[in-house]
Amino acid sequence: MSLLSLLIFLPLVAGLLILILPSAWQQRYKYISLAAVGIQIIIAAFIYLNFDGNTFSGIDVQAKYQLVERVPWINLNLGRLGYLQIDYFLGIDGLSMPFLVLTSIVMLIAVISSWEIKTNLKGYFALLMLLNTAVLGVFCALDFFLFYIFYELMLLPLYFLIGMWGGVRREYAAIKFFLYTLFGSVFMLLVIIGLYFSVTDPVTGNHTFNMLYMMNPANYVQGSLFSTIANQQLFGMSARLVGFIVLFIAFAIKVPIIPLHTWLPDAHVEAPTPVSIILAGILLKIGGYGTLRICVSIFPDAAVQSAWWLGLIGVVSIIYGALNALAQKDLKRLIAYSSVSHMGFVLLGIASVTAEGISGAMLQMISHGFLSTMLFFLVGVIYNRVHSREIHDFRGLALLMPKYTAFVMIAFFASLGLPGFSAFIAEAFSLIGAFTSESVNGLLPRWMAIAGSVGILLGAAYLLWTLQRMFFGETRLMGGEDWRLKLTDINGREAFALASLTVFALLLGIFPSLAFGKMNASVLELIRLVNLK
Amino acid sequence: METFIQGNLSLLAVVAALLPLLTFLGILIPSKSSRGASLAIFNIAVSFLISAILFFKIWNAEPIQHEINWFTIGQTTFKAGILLNNLSVLMLLLVSAIALLVHIYSIKYMEGDAFLYRYWAYLGLFCFSMLSLVITDNLLLLYMFWELVGFSSYLLIGFWFTKESAALAAKKAFIMNRLGDLGFLTGIMIVFTQFKTLNISELFNEGGLVLSAVIQNGLWLNGTNQMPSIWLTIAGLAFFFGAIAKSAQFPLHTWLPDAMEGPTSVSSLIHAATMVAAGVFLLGRIYPLFDATVLMVIASIGAFTALMAATIALTQNDIKRILAFSTISQLGFMMIAMGVGAYSASIFHLATHAFFKCLLFLAAGSVIHEMAHVKAKSGLDFDHQDIQNMGGLRKIMPVTFITMALASLALSGIPFTSGFLSKDAILIQAFEWSDGQSIWAKLIPYAAFLTSGLTSFYIARLLFKVFFGSFRLQNLSKNIQLHEAPNAMKYVLMVLAVFCLFIPFSQNPFDYNSAWIFKEITGLEPAHEVQSNYHLFIPVTVSILTFVLIYLAYTWYGKRLAGPDFSKNPLFRFAQKQWYFNELYTRLFVNGTTGLSAISFKFDRLVVDGLVNLLGKIGVLFAATSGWFDSYVIDGLVNGIASFAKTIGNFARHLQTGRLQHYLLTMVLVVLTFFVIKLFFPGI
Repeated sequence: MSLLSLLIFLPLVAGLLILILPSAWQQRYKYISLAAVGIQIIIAAFIYLNFDGNTFSGIDVQAKYQLVERVPWINLNLGRLGYLQIDYFLGIDGLSMPFLVLTSIVMLIAVISSWEIKTNLKGYFALLMLLNTAVLGVFCALDFFLFYIFYELMLLPLYFLIGMWGGVRREYAAIKFFLYTLFGSVFMLLVIIGLYFSVTDPVTGNHTFNMLYMMNPANYVQGSLFSTIANQQLFGMSARLVGFIVLFIAFAIKVPIIPLHTWLPDAHVEAPTPVSIILAGILLKIGGYGTLRICVSIFPDAAVQSAWWLGLIGVVSIIYGALNALAQKDLKRLIAYSSVSHMGFVLLGIASVTAEGISGAMLQMISHGFLSTMLFFLVGVIYNRVHSREIHDFRGLALLMPKYTAFVMIAFFASLGLPGFSAFIAEAFSLIGAFTSESVNGLLPRWMAIAGSVGILLGAAYLLWTLQRMFFGETRLMGGEDWRLKLTDINGREAFALASLTVFALLLGIFPSLAFGKMNASVLELIRLVNLK
Repeated sequence: METFIQGNLSLLAVVAALLPLLTFLGILIPSKSSRGASLAIFNIAVSFLISAILFFKIWNAEPIQHEINWFTIGQTTFKAGILLNNLSVLMLLLVSAIALLVHIYSIKYMEGDAFLYRYWAYLGLFCFSMLSLVITDNLLLLYMFWELVGFSSYLLIGFWFTKESAALAAKKAFIMNRLGDLGFLTGIMIVFTQFKTLNISELFNEGGLVLSAVIQNGLWLNGTNQMPSIWLTIAGLAFFFGAIAKSAQFPLHTWLPDAMEGPTSVSSLIHAATMVAAGVFLLGRIYPLFDATVLMVIASIGAFTALMAATIALTQNDIKRILAFSTISQLGFMMIAMGVGAYSASIFHLATHAFFKCLLFLAAGSVIHEMAHVKAKSGLDFDHQDIQNMGGLRKIMPVTFITMALASLALSGIPFTSGFLSKDAILIQAFEWSDGQSIWAKLIPYAAFLTSGLTSFYIARLLFKVFFGSFRLQNLSKNIQLHEAPNAMKYVLMVLAVFCLFIPFSQNPFDYNSAWIFKEITGLEPAHEVQSNYHLFIPVTVSILTFVLIYLAYTWYGKRLAGPDFSKNPLFRFAQKQWYFNELYTRLFVNGTTGLSAISFKFDRLVVDGLVNLLGKIGVLFAATSGWFDSYVIDGLVNGIASFAKTIGNFARHLQTGRLQHYLLTMVLVVLTFFVIKLFFPGI
């Protein structure tokens, strides 16, 4: 069994083990999960260290993917419709490898913060492990059918995790999240089928779900729906543009973009801390990853056509998300809106189709993965102690919880892009990429980058305002003396989680080559592919 | 040893910059808060020694540049490196020297503070950022350290974080600096797009990329890259906007007076001598980028700020605020110098100002220290920073008085002081520059001239109010005992006082051309060598004006003769309220942004989310309708058929009674019916 499959299915095995073990052992489930995630981190680290970014530039050539597994999976003779060919096809390149590492680390933090979950542990940890498998699968799958299966598989555990272990309005949030995402992916399925009938395997001549073949115009059947030459029309638009837009909407809901974002504040706020962590830390990145891996790679012509709009959506998301964050009274909701703002940089960077922009967007996703994890973890700390997250309920926490305040300051300043932390390089290069775009390929006007940079200012405003209101000044708490006793400073387990996230954010901020070195060739390859059209 | 140093100069510079970072990490990471002072002072002292060695090795020698690959994006490799030339080693020495003195001063000044270890750590972070800022060789790193000095300034302004006003001031400082940073970032984006590098020497050296780029037919050309020429101006303005925020120039100056909420030693180091000068330093680094329009804007903003801040300083009563506005005003002078092409004069003034303004603050700190002491002992409640509560302190605190007086003379630009030389250099060159320029440009040197007069008046007012007359609180409580500052503070003041004199800077007290800094820090354009009348005319008029104004201040505030009462004068009130900028900004920008954010959240909840919920409701409604249709129409039809069949069945059931008579009757009826039909319809 090869490494990627091991990585993907290890959590599933752990989940099954948890299901089998008697409930009397439920206090040990978390240790089983922790062990699984621990092994996962070791495998991910091994993959990271052995990943050769220059050789394995991936994108549209199978030989340039590392750790490729390609096994025929479903082969059916459909008679007149041809031969149904679905492969179990995994592999990683510079675009996907960083997310394996990110997923493993975020999962570790999520498991650590699951110590606070007290009810129905068997179901909880089994679902968490299932989710883990699905996410890893999404990042590794290179067959669109397989990708879709993993993609949909994520929904199930998330729905239950939010709906059963969440806050007061958990059912509303869970169903909202579910329907939103399903709305995107149902139409995605139509495009997948359309692509299937448009593309053939150059070796066997059968129709195929292989994403890599979909990226090569030569593999399209003459006159087929998505053929680059045929230029078919759908609803008065080029069919390829329609296909791109449908796929983009599916992923954009995940990112999320304005105006498809309203599931996010509800889901993040109602979900228990570990699930918020996974949602913000990994799930949003699937949107960005999917846009790069699928939308831009399979429909580069349509991507170039829509770049201006993508950039605009990015800029609007940045500013609109930040403004909304400024208006929040609930700390968790504030952080949820700040995610919208930060993910706007990702879209802006991708839309620029420049090396700086796409690298910046990739790093922004990784960086936001660490930092939003840290932020949600921090909210969880006070919520667990006094069951309140209202900013106005707290004041002068710095005197009461000095270590906690130190980590809050680190997380806040890292998020607002203080140099030395990963978000700075990421946001700076997303913007630089957007700015150079007009000179390099003429896709984005220069004002977009300058408008986007306003988000950096607003980011400082809402985070520092929160810091001043909650942490500085004389201590004054809503719950009085009772809260003062309950609000103990962070313990060793919490400190470990927070410190390790700090280290990652710092490492990437000071040595960005740890990430750029692995992904640069892939980014260049992607740009080459887009420029070929 | 000698060869080792020679061979590793760049490494030494890195060590000098990193040592204070070690202070920061060494104090905060073990979270054992006992040590602090000794580690901090040792590290900064070594930094200073290294800086001094570097200064003597590199001053007037070949500049040294050393860089390593940092990361690669696309085809571009970004490098991290250091550039040691005259400007950077001068700044290195200046910053580390003043930082060392402030560290020593702080031992006594900050004694007994509950979070003292944090103070040393934050100071370390600041020194690291500032030293790195001056030696780095590319704009990206410069920007990073630029933000980090802002961050450490945030930490130190908000050092007494339980004080609401300190927390607010820290936030304000950071956000206003962030606003400026957007300008800096925009500048970086433009330069990178045009030249594909951010290396300072490649860009701005003689024969560097910026100077080789040309403007043709409204296009700014660099090889094959081109942009509309307006972007050259925008780039200059964008960088200048960054400098405006850091150096507290109009319209982003309002954070600096509030920043006085931090400890006075911090105000002295960061908000007077070093960090705020970083804006001027930045302009010096990228000077060749500025075109005529930008230079004119720089000079105008500088002149306006200098004059405005000086008028405000005339009317304030808080000793630190007077000095803060004075700093803003003096930074305006440096900006004027940059704008009129007096590059070396600007840097020269930066250096002299760093010493005398640092001294002014530290001396004020020593006064505040005593006043706070009195306040604590006597139990009286008064503002210990208000100069109206002071007076007559020259007899009690002679060292503080003499050193502060020297610094004040330097600030006023009295002959034989360092300030005379550098201010003279700026004024003379500004007048020379304005010859043959538009009316607008002519206003600039006159504004500077007027500011110079106001400066001597407000600083004289401060000095006389604090040190002359009698101590006003003596009447309130008899047992008040005042002392001279402790030794550690006193000696620092004395060392700084030496640097307020002309001797360390020039052999000739009257000629700025012989000042070594002025001679050796040269811009790319040759310094003005025109010997105009201004060289005689300006120093003489300025000095006469200064003496007259100081005498006036002496009669009003020193001898305590009744001076005129300005408090009803609307102009006075306007200046005292700091030209109402704070009120204006709060109304316009703060309330504007929070209002906008409230509207956007309403929109999000009601419109965007409302639409989603509406869709959901429509879905539910649709489901309910189809449910109704399903149960009443479709299912109704099915049930209807079923019940119809049942009815028929029931009906038929009744026929089957089991009685033979009934069956016989039925049979007879059927047969009868058959024959009846046959009879009447024979054809069937």
